Amino acid sequence: MEVIKENTKIVFENWVNQFSDGLYSWALYKTSSKETAEDLVQDTFMSAYHKFDGFEGKSQPKTWLFSILNNKIIDFYRKNAKVKKNEFRISEKAGFQLSDDLFDENNIWKDQEIDPIWDDEVHLLDNADFNGVMANCMDNLPEKWKTAITSKYLTDKKANEICQDLGITVSNYWQIVHRAKLLLKECLETNWV
Amino acid sequence: MKKTLQIIMNKFINSCKKTTELIDKRGISKLSLIEKVQLQLHTSMCNTCHAYEHRSKFLDKAIGKLFNQKQPHDKAHLSEDRKSKILEELKN
Repeated sequence: MEVIKENTKIVFENWVNQFSDGLYSWALYKTSSKETAEDLVQDTFMSAYHKFDGFEGKSQPKTWLFSILNNKIIDFYRKNAKVKKNEFRISEKAGFQLSDDLFDENNIWKDQEIDPIWDDEVHLLDNADFNGVMANCMDNLPEKWKTAITSKYLTDKKANEICQDLGITVSNYWQIVHRAKLLLKECLETNWV
Repeated sequence: MKKTLQIIMNKFINSCKKTTELIDKRGISKLSLIEKVQLQLHTSMCNTCHAYEHRSKFLDKAIGKLFNQKQPHDKAHLSEDRKSKILEELKN
């Protein structure tokens, strides 16, 4: 038992030397705070160490560590968001209904005003509070929709492979992405004030 | 007057609803030539849809910021202090 523990420690020492700069660069890019980024990297290694038994070498260590870090980054955004997390996830049916409702009987925008929150669009992405609101809005989407809009960033898969995984056609896929974006826009305009 | 014009445009070119569909479709699959022309015509006359084009692009960036793992970024170095601290923690 002790031997295994020792071996794990050696593995982690190597990983820290090999991957900590990469993880740190990434966390810094995502959070724009040196201290936060350092803490997140440390947390990542600690979590990885504690769940090392669950890592069966199915993925590359680097990929595994980055996925842990990314979850920590999103948690960090959430904790910082001023709005409380909505604990509900809407159904697909409700999603279609809500996005249809943005348009009137002639299929013209009901609300034609352009929300002033977008005036500052370029700076929003660097704002941790905003990213927190964004993460929460993403969580309210139907599970399948969230998968549809995030999978192209999470994997190298092409659109048609993503569709296969989700069991939908390409035209379904962009419809879902489209509906999801309408709802995200609406959610951000409501919750980011 | 404005409303009437909008209804006419929505009938003869494309509705706002259809236009926003095309805006998001464009990011995923190819638009036909007709779709491209319709999109261009509609957004040149409709401010709300024109703004939606920007929102759609922005949302891609925002989703990417949260989930993308591939975006290139500047190489930064974790301080030696912190590295030793992590190694120290692992020893306990």
